[in-house]
Amino acid sequence: MERACVEDMKGAEIGDKRMVPVTQKAVEARGICKSYKSFFGRPATVLSGIDLDVEEGEIFGLLGPNGSGKTTLISILSTLIYPEGGSLFILGMDARRRQGDIRKAINISSAKPNFPWSLTVAENLRHYGMLYGLYGGQLSRAVEEQIAAFELEEFRDMRFENLSTGLKQRLSIAKAMMNHPRLLFLDEPTTGLDPDMSKKTRELIRRIHSEENISVVLSTHYMPEAEILCHRVAFLRKGRIAALDTPRNLKRQLSIGERVAVTYEGEVDISALQRMPGVLGLKAAPGCVEIMIDRRDGGNGGDSLDGIIKLFSRARILNLDIKEPDLEDVFIELAR
Amino acid sequence: MSWQGELNKYLASAYKNWITSKRNIFTVFELFFWPLISLLSIGLLTRFLDVEGSMVSFLLVGAIGLTILQVAQIDVAYVLLFDMWSKSIKNTFIAPVRSYHLVFGAALFGIMRGSVVFIILAGVSHYLFGFKFQEGGLIPVLIFLAGVFAMAVVIGITVCISILTFGQKADVAAWSLSGLIMLVSGIYYPVEVLPPLFQAFARLLPLTYFLEYYRSIFIPGQHHLAAGVFLAAFYIVLGLFLLDRAIERARRTGILLRLSE
Repeated sequence: MERACVEDMKGAEIGDKRMVPVTQKAVEARGICKSYKSFFGRPATVLSGIDLDVEEGEIFGLLGPNGSGKTTLISILSTLIYPEGGSLFILGMDARRRQGDIRKAINISSAKPNFPWSLTVAENLRHYGMLYGLYGGQLSRAVEEQIAAFELEEFRDMRFENLSTGLKQRLSIAKAMMNHPRLLFLDEPTTGLDPDMSKKTRELIRRIHSEENISVVLSTHYMPEAEILCHRVAFLRKGRIAALDTPRNLKRQLSIGERVAVTYEGEVDISALQRMPGVLGLKAAPGCVEIMIDRRDGGNGGDSLDGIIKLFSRARILNLDIKEPDLEDVFIELAR
Repeated sequence: MSWQGELNKYLASAYKNWITSKRNIFTVFELFFWPLISLLSIGLLTRFLDVEGSMVSFLLVGAIGLTILQVAQIDVAYVLLFDMWSKSIKNTFIAPVRSYHLVFGAALFGIMRGSVVFIILAGVSHYLFGFKFQEGGLIPVLIFLAGVFAMAVVIGITVCISILTFGQKADVAAWSLSGLIMLVSGIYYPVEVLPPLFQAFARLLPLTYFLEYYRSIFIPGQHHLAAGVFLAAFYIVLGLFLLDRAIERARRTGILLRLSE
């Protein structure tokens, strides 16, 4: 893994000549596994055999249902906890040997952010800035910079315990930016936020990513969020990566077709619909039917749509809606 | 990293403890109420029993010692307790800090609070009970305080290790351990009155030697201060080593994550 000597490496001390890979990845994980042992009973496996590469500058999404291992994986990647097996390189540094250097160069914003309750927004940022070794004018500037960047001026003297969920989330991301990390971990950054605040948070993430030119690993179970933000996503299911690719490729690979929803009056031969070439699946109820058709290159979807409409010749179509597949469909497909 | 940056890593814990304490009404009880109750009850008892002057000092040294030990050690323990109660422990351990940054930063604040309590109690006991805490000069007072604070650091580290090993339930150690240590170190009596097994245990505690040293000013007697200094230094180094191991274990078992949820 150690391929070349790079003199000026962000995150390490100035003049620190250490061997790091030339083609550096933000995350390079191989065979990561983790189980939690209870005092009584068998250990519960949370992650097994996770292989993962995150390129520098990429926004990478970790998706999966509750309990799929997202938070554990993010905690391992951010060096908070250790894996039981496998190898892990963060920003080209071995996570077993150079945790100190890694921690200088990364940061995390947790799901359900928590900070010392009685410290205000500014005091919390100051406290964590101090833990990262900031001092004097540099520390004060960093606090003010983050307060301004995350529009927290109005709340700077408000104690953490009195902040709304949205403000807590903003403070959490602001804290995570105090050391200007090269790799930022965001664990469910919009959980518990209303749609407006979720949208603002997503815009914030996108802005940080482009302005600071950093790599981001974010976990979420909101599919649209991953689709909007992430260059690539990995689906976790029962502690394993069930799929990993760009959102677009995933939808294609999984043969998730378009959904054609038809509301009608009259008679329709449902079994004939099911037998049509290009029809991947069908859900029928009195007066409405939802058909999944394959319209990929080489699929029979185009013909299917014509055929479908023909089969409604003895009925009156009240409404016809064609919907592109989204990550939600991928999620449902993979979670099966 | 520059020395100012390194210094700030230590001061971060002191800063957090300072802000949290000043906004917590319970601090008033910690600094004034309980210490004064403890001091006055012992002082008044000596009056009732008509204890002679040097013995009053002997007993008040125990009462004052216990109080400042409790105040200082809880501050060291607070470095993790505040994080554990607010479920923000992962934010601390994701930062590039070591166990000694956390412990010594918190200890610094504990020493400040302990010193304030000592000044109050020494003043009150001097005024009400004629206790001359500076009878042997300032150096013995400072040595005694250093010994109590060193023991406080050791107890605080032990509490932190317990939290990281056993989780939230271990916070009871924060309030009980100092009482137990004082009991064995000879809070209101020479350790010779303890059963032999406890006497042996007392000889393993640095506080025993610091109490004997300071009390020898009021009631002349033997002391082995050097043994106390050696033990205190040994336990602090050992404590930091074990704390590092406990942090490593907490990262391995995932307890750090559970303490944040």
